[in-house]
Amino acid sequence: MSDADSRKVLVIPCSGIGKAFGSIGREATYVVTEEMRPEDTDTLCLSLLTLGDEQAMERVRRHPVITIDGCPKACAEVNVKSAGGRSAANLKVVDTYREHPDLKVQAVLDLGEPGRKLAAFLAEKVVAEVDALKDKEDEADG
Amino acid sequence: MVDLPQKKVGIIACSGEELPEGTISRVAARKVLDDLRPGETVTLCLPLFLAGDEKERAFAKSYPTIAVDGCGKLCAKRATEKYSGAVSGSIVVDKLLQERDLSPGSSRRALDEEGQQAVTVVADEIAQQVAHLLGSRSDTQRAPQPSDATAAGATCCGGPTMPVTRVKIGGASVGLVALEPIFEQMYQQGHRDGAGVDEEILKAVKVYNFVPTSAEQSYKETLLKQYQKFCRDREG
Repeated sequence: MSDADSRKVLVIPCSGIGKAFGSIGREATYVVTEEMRPEDTDTLCLSLLTLGDEQAMERVRRHPVITIDGCPKACAEVNVKSAGGRSAANLKVVDTYREHPDLKVQAVLDLGEPGRKLAAFLAEKVVAEVDALKDKEDEADG
Repeated sequence: MVDLPQKKVGIIACSGEELPEGTISRVAARKVLDDLRPGETVTLCLPLFLAGDEKERAFAKSYPTIAVDGCGKLCAKRATEKYSGAVSGSIVVDKLLQERDLSPGSSRRALDEEGQQAVTVVADEIAQQVAHLLGSRSDTQRAPQPSDATAAGATCCGGPTMPVTRVKIGGASVGLVALEPIFEQMYQQGHRDGAGVDEEILKAVKVYNFVPTSAEQSYKETLLKQYQKFCRDREG
């Protein structure tokens, strides 16, 4: 793993399959990791942590992690914690939705235009957290 | 008539975020739940096995379960077996696509044409396994049934699950799915303490639970006693 890779922030959504908010977290993750901050971020299969995959657990212990959860069960946060990692920030989709109640998500598989906008707002919040973590890291490096 | 839960098949997808195959597992599972086998299938978010409680971990005991994995790490299959119970079916997306000479496509976010084609193949495979487990028709494009809309709505994570009752059988505490509705249905059908009632109870219990052949007699005796108590309680 290169030094740049080892400094990447892991963005891990719950990807809940039963409710549309799970899909919002997943979409926001891809917006951040593929479009907005591809150099600074990466994602990880949450299911690997549920299974207890040693390599994945090691990654969440070594990298700063931002989790995104679609429901109060907070699967992403709980699974990261259980793997020995710590969420530097845990974002709840519902909090972003409360700020934009007009953005109703269409369905789990088809977010619709309002759903994609909601994911974009959530992605902005994730990016703010990523940037704050990177700033801290730069300060520490002097 | 008591609304005894209909036997359904559980589908657990890995939903892996890192690979297109993870997205395919998720979309295909949802397609089966919503379009191909609504009302006959339920799902649970995989990470709930760790983040949830006993109710969630009883999932594979409540339902014959098909694991849908994106890759050979088999997170869905292995995590289900680790936390909940043996799976009844397993589909590995990358392996299945390789066998059919298909590509998963190149995007894990928005599936391209190849990804969509892969979803159709995987969803059909899941639907066929569902049909096999339910012993029903294997045509995947089944016409929607009147109750499908409501039933499909009950497929979200942590959604309604069958009640679990703990019973002591042969000195061990066993969690039995749907025992109370089974008793209620038998009571309302007029079954009391007659001959063959123990057999009837066991037959119904076995629809929703695994009963080891060697323990059937103990189950019958214990469940009959439980049912007699249930009847006494109902009659005051």
